[in-house]
Amino acid sequence: MMLRILMPVLLSLLSACASYIPVNESPAPVERSEPARPGTPVLVGPPRPESVPEQSPVPASRQSVPATASSTLLASVDAAMAAGDFERAAAVSERALRISPRDAVIWYRLANIRYQQQRYADARGLARRALSYAAGDATLQQQVNDLLARLDNQ
Amino acid sequence: MTDHEVKQERQSPVWRRRLIWSLGLGLAILVAWLMWIDYQVRRDFAALQWALPARIYARPAELYTGAPLNAAVVNDYLQQLGYRQVDAVAGSGEFRLQGGQLQVQTRGFQFWDGTEPSVFATIEFGDDQIASVSADAIAGNGDVTTRSLPLVRLEPVEITQINPATGEDRLPVSLDQVPEALINAIIAVEDQRFYQHWGVDPKGILRAFWVNLRRGEVVQGGSTLTQQLVKNLYLTQDRTLRRKVEEAFMALALELHFSKDEILAAYLNEVFLGQDGSRAIHGFTLAAQYYFSRPLTELSLAELALLAGLPRGASFYNPRRNPERALNRRNTVLRNMAAQGYISEAEYDSASSAQLSTSLRPARRNRAYPAFMDLVRADLARDYDADALRSEGLRIFTTLDLRVQQTMDTALEPAVAAVEMVADDGTPLQAAMVISDSNTGEIRALAGSRRPGAVGFNRALNAVRPIGSLIKPAIYLAALESGDDTLATVLSDRPVELVTEDGQRWSPGNFDDQTAGDVYFHDALARSLNLATVDLGTRIGIDTVINMLDDLGHSRPVPEYLSVLLGAVDMAPLEVARFYQTLASSGFYSPLRSVEAVTTGEGERLQRYGFETKQVADPASVFLLEQALQDVFVRGTARSAAETLADNLPLAGKTGTTNDYRDSWFAGYGDDLTGVVWLGYDDNRNTGLTGATGALRVWAAVMQQLAIQPRQTRAPDAIVWEEVPIRASLSPTTEDCQATRLLPFREGQLPAAVTECLQNGTLLDRVIDRFRSLSP
Repeated sequence: MMLRILMPVLLSLLSACASYIPVNESPAPVERSEPARPGTPVLVGPPRPESVPEQSPVPASRQSVPATASSTLLASVDAAMAAGDFERAAAVSERALRISPRDAVIWYRLANIRYQQQRYADARGLARRALSYAAGDATLQQQVNDLLARLDNQ
Repeated sequence: MTDHEVKQERQSPVWRRRLIWSLGLGLAILVAWLMWIDYQVRRDFAALQWALPARIYARPAELYTGAPLNAAVVNDYLQQLGYRQVDAVAGSGEFRLQGGQLQVQTRGFQFWDGTEPSVFATIEFGDDQIASVSADAIAGNGDVTTRSLPLVRLEPVEITQINPATGEDRLPVSLDQVPEALINAIIAVEDQRFYQHWGVDPKGILRAFWVNLRRGEVVQGGSTLTQQLVKNLYLTQDRTLRRKVEEAFMALALELHFSKDEILAAYLNEVFLGQDGSRAIHGFTLAAQYYFSRPLTELSLAELALLAGLPRGASFYNPRRNPERALNRRNTVLRNMAAQGYISEAEYDSASSAQLSTSLRPARRNRAYPAFMDLVRADLARDYDADALRSEGLRIFTTLDLRVQQTMDTALEPAVAAVEMVADDGTPLQAAMVISDSNTGEIRALAGSRRPGAVGFNRALNAVRPIGSLIKPAIYLAALESGDDTLATVLSDRPVELVTEDGQRWSPGNFDDQTAGDVYFHDALARSLNLATVDLGTRIGIDTVINMLDDLGHSRPVPEYLSVLLGAVDMAPLEVARFYQTLASSGFYSPLRSVEAVTTGEGERLQRYGFETKQVADPASVFLLEQALQDVFVRGTARSAAETLADNLPLAGKTGTTNDYRDSWFAGYGDDLTGVVWLGYDDNRNTGLTGATGALRVWAAVMQQLAIQPRQTRAPDAIVWEEVPIRASLSPTTEDCQATRLLPFREGQLPAAVTECLQNGTLLDRVIDRFRSLSP
């Protein structure tokens, strides 16, 4: 039970702190192994003692994750983009989102794919969604905002 | 010469000429007939295209470290896919599950987003989730290395199909996909000289006649595979000699123009092998699925021999209905194979002593999950006409989650029965339930009736009823979005008299006829106070509320009546699901979807229905709203379910009850699932249930079974936590400020209750408060 509460928090910590290389110019490989900074503030509901999971530091085993479901799928997204099959890239991104639905990086990734397909309305919604999960990650917020600015010029 | 002689002289050539003429004419007709047969056979066979049903698939199971699946659930998936439990996994479609460890060789599948390869995986289960997924690889020198597998996707379970008008179903394959043993078995028992004859086999007929005579029963047929194919392709009831001759010529014509392999492949796909209700099972690939729930390539020699025996009489030798006969027939096939040298005596011995291994009769598939299928049909109708669905062999990949649907199907009826106040005339209380993915808007399960699998009126889609207090979150969200209100806004929960649009006096009341006086916005929503809601709603304006409903995804026009504030808005359960879905995904509207992708029968992507999402409210506003909706389970109208859901809280939700207890509603969500339950009678009579005593209990029973995941919504950056007096008051006294509780606020938007207490408090209090608000 505790694990079930902790895991999403830890995972979102990880992704929130990950750096991200934009993909809008060329499909760049995604490197997301930067370790999470322990102690990054995460608010989970009101600070009632019973509802706040203990802020445990990210376990060592999580810091050098081998290949996770998401990272494997993101590699497939890269492959699909390289092959010019944007729709497959979108499909694989969505598959990754079903597994990690609050991973801001994946939402941003999908927004970028839609941007490249010139589906701007879809891209805008997805980018805003990415932003809503990007709390605490200034770099990613900046990247999403850049994309939103480009979308406003379309 | 007499006249008579002359006549005779002239008569003879006339007669002869007529004979020649008629012979010539007959020959011409025969030739024309043969040419016609030849033309017909060439035309029909070259363009041989079967009408193929659309196949509908559930969402595939994804196995990865941390996936919320336990061994029992994965076992269920494997059973439904027809995987076989074995002692040692040696081939695809086999698994071994023991002590929390699963070894499985998957089959692989052509998905719309790429090929999923067949893999051998070892899966360790933890408590209600997958602890690890790994693969063993054996190197050339025999060393076994284990590497972790990031992700394994099982093939999707086929839930149902949309059949062609002919009722024929088949899964055509090319010859190289058919096991050689099956071909040998068929040739051995049906047409030994298939590769030698020209379509008709006089020797074969004689031999069959002789063999059958000696054994006193029909064990061999005289007609060749080619003739049988013709018979199947041009199926007529006509069994006259003329028809037989015609078929023989057609067989000859077929052999003249097409190769043996082409004819054999057509035969393997065409032949009738069973009847499943209104669905006719054609071809050996489908027969393998139908009788053994497994692909043809995974079947044993004994199983293949059983199938090879079926063309003689699919109903007579049906292994489910006539196991004795089927067994004898199978062994006849095996004996023929041994006699003709296709198998050894040892193989014969072991195969002929094998027990029948047919799977249970599958559920009638055209009736599977009818409520969900109504939605799939409606969604598909936008892009596909009925003919395409019935004949082009499309594969439809839906969002249905079998675990969710089956759990709901099992839990719903007893849960409804438990709350039902049985009507005098025995009319059953009815129910509908919609469960969607909180993040994506994909429909995971649907019930259109309290009885799973019921066909008919689909209440989830079509029971359009007033939603009562389910509307309140839209009103409170509209207020939060306006920027003027906070969770600590003080509302007046006191009797009022209003004048409606048509000049009537209207005095709404609270559900329990009590009034709360001054009450916080937060508590008014959690406790579903009508008068406080009317106070708020009249202040922000009905039009603002209706605009918010539109933004949240409601698509019908709503009249601007005051009664809208108390839920005089009609929605079907599916529409309520759309509305709450938007709240569950933090203010992002996504259309609810039941279909993810459509491919051709070969797996080529035709259409994909991707995620769409549109921001309709500020995530900070939705976060604040959700604090109150979570409190519904703690101090509000759903606290009675807190015990049932002890392992699942915090969750967010709202009860709804309509006039005269006609409708009992509950809508709520966790991190993974959003669910809506409606209870009511089809004739609109009093149910005797409130949202809390009816729908909530059903919702909690189902969601507890589904282990709905707690809400772990992260606070947006703009949220701060502040102390407010426990007692709501427009001008709190110093005493009020002594007893406080924490509430979240949007930064820079603190209500009077907070600021006044801060001003009244001591310097020390203020320091402590600031410290607290910084470090939650």
